[in-house]
Amino acid sequence: MFPELNNILNTSPDKFEQGQFILVSDSKTDGTFLIHHFISFYLKAGCRVCVLGLVQSFSHYSAVGQRLGVSLPQAREKGQLVFLEGLRGSLDVLLQDGPIPDTAQPLGFLRSPVPELRGLFEFVQSSLSSTEEEVAAWGPPVLIVDDLSVLLSLGVSPGAVLDFMHYCRVAVCSRMQGNMVTLVHNEEEELGDEDSELLLRSLTHQSSLTLQVQGLATGYCRDIHGQMELRWRGGSQGRPGRDQVKLFQYKVQDKGVSFFARGTSSAVL
Amino acid sequence: MLVEIIQGSEGGGLVVIKDSAECDGRSLLKGFIKAAVLRNEPVHVLGFEVSEDELCTGLDSGPASRLVFHDGYSDPLQWLGQGKLSVQDYSAQNMRNRISQSDDPKVVTLVIDSLSWLLLHTPPTAVCQSLQELSRGGLKVKRVVALLHSDLHEQGVVGSVCHMATAVVTVTPVSGSVSAEAEPNGIVRTLLRRKTGRVSREEECYSVREDFSVQILRDLSTRKQPAPDSRGETKQDDPAANLTFNLRLSEDERRARENLSLPFTFSEEKKSSLLQPRSGGGRILYEPDASDDFDQEDPDDDLDI
Repeated sequence: MFPELNNILNTSPDKFEQGQFILVSDSKTDGTFLIHHFISFYLKAGCRVCVLGLVQSFSHYSAVGQRLGVSLPQAREKGQLVFLEGLRGSLDVLLQDGPIPDTAQPLGFLRSPVPELRGLFEFVQSSLSSTEEEVAAWGPPVLIVDDLSVLLSLGVSPGAVLDFMHYCRVAVCSRMQGNMVTLVHNEEEELGDEDSELLLRSLTHQSSLTLQVQGLATGYCRDIHGQMELRWRGGSQGRPGRDQVKLFQYKVQDKGVSFFARGTSSAVL
Repeated sequence: MLVEIIQGSEGGGLVVIKDSAECDGRSLLKGFIKAAVLRNEPVHVLGFEVSEDELCTGLDSGPASRLVFHDGYSDPLQWLGQGKLSVQDYSAQNMRNRISQSDDPKVVTLVIDSLSWLLLHTPPTAVCQSLQELSRGGLKVKRVVALLHSDLHEQGVVGSVCHMATAVVTVTPVSGSVSAEAEPNGIVRTLLRRKTGRVSREEECYSVREDFSVQILRDLSTRKQPAPDSRGETKQDDPAANLTFNLRLSEDERRARENLSLPFTFSEEKKSSLLQPRSGGGRILYEPDASDDFDQEDPDDDLDI
């Protein structure tokens, strides 16, 4: 986890808000470093974490996690972390010789004629709902999805993705008072990918905190890798208020990310 | 005008609150709910997007208990088999039946949160038809207040829904801070279709307080010019003041000026001298001056003077 980001968000592993839905969106750059931050943050906070890793293998996440100070294999063994490996699992589903599998399988939507993410939701629900002892052992549950845009590429309609997110929000945020973090790519802004924009806007309406990561408009820079806009939604958690917006620039380093106000990069000053 | 619509004196029928990703309209929707509950009107909420707890946050326990929440949030697609309100159940008839089950003799305000959710799951024509039937009034439903996220649908769909509405309230974010006393939540543009057929539009700056009462901070619609500064203009400036020479007249001078007759005014004497025929038939008396030339070679010597 990145200590500077914790300061900006005013959270720490001991004290964080529950029932939050955090949306990370990126365009012209890769925002996955924020997903790694949240994975290590919630593991350090002692929460039960379910990660739907649809884009990278487990070893990739554990390698990055090691640099950030958490051990993912150990957490998986203890039962704190539940990891769905999308790449390996999808290959198993697609290359299965037998009859079309039951859609209750988490990745069964890949072969079903009507892609519905009900199986994926049931996997999430079963992995995060816990018995009494587990509730005492671990903190509130957390769901991290990396990422949702790949589901659109796999042929799932945006409506089905939104339904899946709705049910996850009901189960994780409202019922179990846990948190949810998800990543959406917003690549082709000029081409106007309507599905992706619809997904992004709908999730923005439902989220309590949006982190929007963008590459610099002027192009690649060695010292500043991009800028990040944080937006705390007014009206989230049922309270009235305006959106609060903060803007930072960042640089990704080997073991962390440094954030600074615009124009105050160490290379510039 | 927003306050009148919230209080219910204007805009019966269907009220649509349009918001976008930049500015949230749910707090205004809760303002409507709060105002209706304070007037002791029963409020039924079809909740699809937020849970009952989140919707009732900020409303005191008394008003919150008068609110009937139809739970379409927990299991709208029947994946969990919990038997609450599902999206397929949505139709005007079913909604009326649900409302009638509550045994309330008074007419009800129906709040839909949100229409966007319905539009993503049912065809727009069905939604429009059901809205029309519900808002036509009559049995049990006094008016319908619905929240619509305008950036999630095509313009045509949004336009069709707003076309049926009696009042459309659009919230937009306010850039910077307009007033120092209270931070405004946003700018609201209201369009009201009155029963007489007249359509009025207003633009106001609003804020929603912690207890969800809506306060109008400033009226932005009539962009009046500031009234001309009338402090120094009423008194005519005296041009003859502050001069180094005297332009004023004393009494004698004024009287002499008034008595003077101008050269071409047609007075009585001149009139009589012209009208009366004089003997001699008009003689010309010519007396040459000292400087006059009496030139012999003057070609005008046929003049017989």
